[in-house]
Amino acid sequence: MQITLDHVTHTYQPGSPFQSTALEDVSLTIRPGEFLALIGHTGSGKSTLAQHINGLLQPTSGRVLMDGQDIHEKGFDKKVVRRSVGLVFQYPEHQLFEETVARDVAFGPRNLGLPADEIDGRVREALKKVGLTQAGIEEKSPFELSGGQMRRVAIAGVLAMRPDMLVLDEPAAGLDPQSREDMLQLIAQLHAQGATIVMISHSMDDVARFATRAVVMEHGRITMEGTPEEIFRHAERLESMGLDVPSVCRLGIQLRQMGVNCPDSVFREEQAVQALLDLWKEGKPHGHA
Amino acid sequence: MAMRDITLGQYYPADSAVHRLDPRVKILLLIGLIVAIFMARNLVAFIPVVLFLILATVLSQVPVRLMIKGIKPLRFILVLTFLLNLFFLPGETPLWDVGFAVIKKEALLTAILYSFRLVLLVMGSSLLTLTTPPIVLTDGLERLLSPLKVIHFPAHEMAMMMSIALRFIPTLLEEADKIMKAQTARGADFESGNLLKRARAMVPLLVPLFVSAFRRAGDLAMAMEARCYHGGEGRTRLRVLRISDGDVAACVLMAALIFCVVACNSLHLY
Repeated sequence: MQITLDHVTHTYQPGSPFQSTALEDVSLTIRPGEFLALIGHTGSGKSTLAQHINGLLQPTSGRVLMDGQDIHEKGFDKKVVRRSVGLVFQYPEHQLFEETVARDVAFGPRNLGLPADEIDGRVREALKKVGLTQAGIEEKSPFELSGGQMRRVAIAGVLAMRPDMLVLDEPAAGLDPQSREDMLQLIAQLHAQGATIVMISHSMDDVARFATRAVVMEHGRITMEGTPEEIFRHAERLESMGLDVPSVCRLGIQLRQMGVNCPDSVFREEQAVQALLDLWKEGKPHGHA
Repeated sequence: MAMRDITLGQYYPADSAVHRLDPRVKILLLIGLIVAIFMARNLVAFIPVVLFLILATVLSQVPVRLMIKGIKPLRFILVLTFLLNLFFLPGETPLWDVGFAVIKKEALLTAILYSFRLVLLVMGSSLLTLTTPPIVLTDGLERLLSPLKVIHFPAHEMAMMMSIALRFIPTLLEEADKIMKAQTARGADFESGNLLKRARAMVPLLVPLFVSAFRRAGDLAMAMEARCYHGGEGRTRLRVLRISDGDVAACVLMAALIFCVVACNSLHLY
């Protein structure tokens, strides 16, 4: 399944004094199986873009296509998009409402009208995927859980719909370092299992580690697009947009400023370790600080 | 979303003579206007009221479109008031026989008068809320009610509760919008089905909304206590209200309006 945004513009509250354009002429194709990172300053339109992918928001102008079909056309069943594209909002734990974890996770499949035993199977599968396997957790109230666990329940609720594509709006925001790492590993694992991932993130280190492609947004427009390697070469441009580069890139920039011959294609930790080892083996860095 | 269409209580930001008026004066002016509207006993007496409202609207720089939008939710009540008065009021001069009833001249005039009153009342109050930020409005209300503290009326607490409630309306609307979207993304359907089904569909929206409202309330109480809030006693103000020349002029204008209405009433015209 492939989602394409075709010259999408979105204006909030048009015609009122609070009118604001969140997206302007955005065209983007999300390819099956990729891990796409959406980067941008707060208010650059990332979340608005994410909500167009599964048809929650309708473009003011332009089209959103699912396998070539306009999803806002009359007669197109939006449930098809909602089932195929799972959207995980920022702080998804704020959407929990049921009395037990299992019932909350079952909400999505129930809305799809699946039979009871199918729903049970999916709930168990989804909870296992997010790593909530403690005995008896299904019957607990989601409000008794820790913040990190609540977020996993919320994500399980989306996974239980078995989406082909998962759109996540800052899934690691506000988590402690261990839960953060677990969350990112979970997303990487889902990607490895074949899911298409679209992730909004402010952490360039995470983008460098996981993304296969990145899109940079500013003032509702896509300003840069490419592999993380291509994007992070333009450190100055990113900084002018109020964005950062991965800490490894900063290290490389500083080394080059000191005259060390460190390649500018290095943006992941393991690459940096390799590059530094190579330099060390050469034994002769060009400059000396 | 339909919730965004409520004009009453939606501030229109501008820097106009009306915006700059003291909120206390504006509240009193609205009361004066309401008195004038109810005092007007014939259509001629409405002319000064309408002129006053037009002047105030022009001075306020609020688009007429927004003022008219405020009347829209009232259209059914308006039509109903008009028709009820038209058909059921007694009168002497028959105008038109529609078959099942005879429309009388007196009834027609009163029907027009009552509908007019309603429209003017809503427009007047909309003008107040369109030109005054809610926080400033409650500030003004607190000051106006503060003489009642003598009889232990909790003016400060009431105003504080009102400003907090007003402050959180947009926040909760936004939150509701977000939760609604999140549940829609999970296949929830808020729009179709019979009444019972739709009421049950609200549970996934209302539970998270209440949870978040309580969490916010707790956080806010904590933050207020951390900044040593202990009620209104001995509290000084960030915005000190002062009566300006404009306020005096507005009051004089209001007095003139009421005088005109009284004068028109005594003319015994329509």
